[in-house]
Amino acid sequence: MMYTMQDRRRFLATLSSAVAAGLIGPSNSVAQEAPPETTTIRLARNRSICIAPQYVVGGLLQAEGFTDIRYVMTDAGMGQSKMLASGEIDFTLHFSPILLIPIEAGEKISIIAGVHVGCFELLAIERIRSIADLKGKTVGVPDLGTSSHVFVSSMAAHVGLDPAKDINWVRSPSISPMELFADGKIDAWLGFPPEPQELRARKIGHVVVNSSVDRPWSQYYCCMLAGNRDFIRRNPAATKRVLRAILKATDFCVSDPAGAARRMVDGGFTTQYDYALQTLKEVPYNKWREYDPEDTIRFWALRLREAGMIKSNPNKIIAEATDWRFLNQLKRELKG
Amino acid sequence: MRAALILALAVLVTAACLLLALSRDAPQHASLEPPLPKIAPAPEFALTSQDGAPVTLADYRGKVVAVTFILTMCTTTCPILTPMMSFVQDQLGRDFGAKISFVSITIDPERDTADVLQQYAQSFGANFAGWSFLTGTPEAIRDVAQRYGVYASKAANGDVEHTFLTSIVDPHGILRVQYLGMRFDPEEFRRDLLSLLKE
Repeated sequence: MMYTMQDRRRFLATLSSAVAAGLIGPSNSVAQEAPPETTTIRLARNRSICIAPQYVVGGLLQAEGFTDIRYVMTDAGMGQSKMLASGEIDFTLHFSPILLIPIEAGEKISIIAGVHVGCFELLAIERIRSIADLKGKTVGVPDLGTSSHVFVSSMAAHVGLDPAKDINWVRSPSISPMELFADGKIDAWLGFPPEPQELRARKIGHVVVNSSVDRPWSQYYCCMLAGNRDFIRRNPAATKRVLRAILKATDFCVSDPAGAARRMVDGGFTTQYDYALQTLKEVPYNKWREYDPEDTIRFWALRLREAGMIKSNPNKIIAEATDWRFLNQLKRELKG
Repeated sequence: MRAALILALAVLVTAACLLLALSRDAPQHASLEPPLPKIAPAPEFALTSQDGAPVTLADYRGKVVAVTFILTMCTTTCPILTPMMSFVQDQLGRDFGAKISFVSITIDPERDTADVLQQYAQSFGANFAGWSFLTGTPEAIRDVAQRYGVYASKAANGDVEHTFLTSIVDPHGILRVQYLGMRFDPEEFRRDLLSLLKE
């Protein structure tokens, strides 16, 4: 009986989606897919190798008709978001909250897909066993407002700490906080590949949170594909082609991590093949189809509100700064 | 008034029976799946088969064709894709060859000559009535791979890095769906092939 009920539900759901998709009769005509409106595309490049799909996408972008593919040096934080908003880069895979903060401030960024989860690891000294243990401790960050500061603040607020008062932030723009941690000058530090891989290899500190596997962080996209809003409005065919190339590149990272790591080394995006391969095997690059990107926006908007970093309602951000039409088309066109 | 009530009741019962019947009848479910999107005209190609014959995509007009990319020297992932397609070949029964064909294009034409492809195909039980293994000049292969959206790059040691992409083309030559990777669901793949025969 239960089988019949479930079948009936599935039937009704299928009927609804079929009607929504225009089952009444598929059109007999098909247009040649529009070529990209521009053959130049500018992507961000920075010290994070977590955004591997962005670094191995070159050949796939060529296949989509782009002939001039440029990588523009950025930081791995808020500066990158600003360069995206100002049009210095057209697209980037970027950490979700670092997109939401400038979006709330009115920057012209649109998020078009969630691509992968993970990337970040919080490493700490032995007596720190949980986020709550960060109270009264020193945490190193390149600066306030960077990805690591925003992420640790969000985690701290989520467990009831006041990140501004309860954590002693050590700002270190010139010396990597990883080195401060390795030298015993700070108690904890949040990094992204290849740095956590390097510290683990040196057997320094222990991992308190790994956002690839630890909930709730592992259930939401770390990195989402965002574009300059004006570029997307002016170049919808190019935007769809960029997203398709990025999704194929993401699949390449899953199906051939060794090949993808070699591509990153050959392309000059890293010199550390072993850490690149480790990153490609550890970061879950196979989730772009599974998770709802809107859930990620809601989750991070709420975390940022808890941490006092934004005031907006998540629905406002979703309405104003997301554009899922390309992803929704590609989910039907690209199975797997 | 009573007649109207009986009529309304009859309509309700008929609708309920229809829903129940449909919900118990799997083949009719499949017919209600949304049709596959029409992406674009599939990229044409003119290559050479495992027995040295010229083959073009236009030769397959009137049939559903799955176009995929392989290399016979690949020992890690390709041995998953080709046996899976061989499994689906067997599942398709009499439709295979008559109405549905497979095309596997090598992305390593320097190594994968017609003879090599023939041996490779036979080792996986490919039925040549409906399955062709194609090679060509490096330029022609690079061109067709790129136009289908496949990334392939040959390293100095001869190893080829590449993405996996299997495309389904309908009888009118229109690209309808692409499968990423090599671990996709063979039943969904088979269902998609058959769905295009019913349009």
